[in-house]
Amino acid sequence: MKDNAWLAALTGELRRHGVGPDLTGHVVAEAATHLAESGESPLRVFGPPEVYARAVADSLGGPDVRPPRRHPGPVRLAARGITKRYRGQTVLDRIDLTVRAGQIAAVVGANGAGKSTFLRICAGLLSPDAGTVQVHGALGYCPQDGGTAEFLDPDEHFVLIGAGRGLGRATARRAGRAGAAALDWTPPRTQARHLSGGTRQKLNLVLARLGEPDVLLLDEPYQGFDRGTYLDFWHEVWRWRDAGKAIVVVTHLLNQLDRVDIVLDLTASQERTA
Amino acid sequence: MNQERRAQWLRGVLDLCVLALLSRGESYGYELSQALRTYGLGTVQGGTLYPVLLRLQRAGLLTAHWREGETGPARKYYRISPAGSAALHAAVIDWSAFTASVGAILSEEPKR
Repeated sequence: MKDNAWLAALTGELRRHGVGPDLTGHVVAEAATHLAESGESPLRVFGPPEVYARAVADSLGGPDVRPPRRHPGPVRLAARGITKRYRGQTVLDRIDLTVRAGQIAAVVGANGAGKSTFLRICAGLLSPDAGTVQVHGALGYCPQDGGTAEFLDPDEHFVLIGAGRGLGRATARRAGRAGAAALDWTPPRTQARHLSGGTRQKLNLVLARLGEPDVLLLDEPYQGFDRGTYLDFWHEVWRWRDAGKAIVVVTHLLNQLDRVDIVLDLTASQERTA
Repeated sequence: MNQERRAQWLRGVLDLCVLALLSRGESYGYELSQALRTYGLGTVQGGTLYPVLLRLQRAGLLTAHWREGETGPARKYYRISPAGSAALHAAVIDWSAFTASVGAILSEEPKR
């Protein structure tokens, strides 16, 4: 029975590490055979599921299955010549970004390069000094922090934000819980102010996705996530991309850049102006 | 033997040991781990052994297939491929030269 729990956890961890379903089946079955024959404890033979899953993924020399590259669809987000100045300092200088349906754009750059500012302008929360933003379709925005109401529990957030996107109470709650489950999270009946930073970010991310918007703007949404949830997050992003969403992710972690479609580096633009 | 050093050495040669064992006939993970122990390499845990098998299989040096046992669960049997045999052959020559060099250094009498 203990073996089964370990094997189930291994299955989940292999998925998180990008190991495809076929190979996962082989690896788990092989481990089960070994445990049955040796009669030893899985922790002793293989170690913790996440450690063994990582060793398996490493031995493959990279992700087993890359999401298929599809032809991108129509333009969902078009930012043209975005310029923003703060106190005489040019933070953004004529920035262009076009993201089509089925594409992920990563916005990178040093601290203070204007990543969050650019995203807030794309979300319509901030006006640029020059330039235009066109969004075709519904928009979801996940801020870096904030965005949750202190005295509401997650279900109440789902209902409130869902209502703004035309979802009924039950539908909103169901959609919220499904989104949470994809991040391996069961929303508690706890007010947001009592949730940890990482958990509040999960809530933020689920809220941004409510109503399946066509354009998703995510501002470093994984802060406070443990490694497993971080991997889950990227799997979700790739799944949304494959479902035809246009996604913009602000990130300072560069190790996922080979799996995004567009990289917008704001460091370069700032150094140009300096 | 110093456990840490043994583990360190093993990391460099475990894939060759696995290839060599499989060059004598097909086998499966649990049996391979017991064979390694019989040869005095101590316990090579599954967490170390199976990723090596997977890497060798990915590199085309091993082939694998599942077979039901007479008793017990189905096992994944590994077999060395022609490319695996060639890689093993080359590595055996390299290993002999390497151990001879190390042996020569270690066994030389200290000067008085």
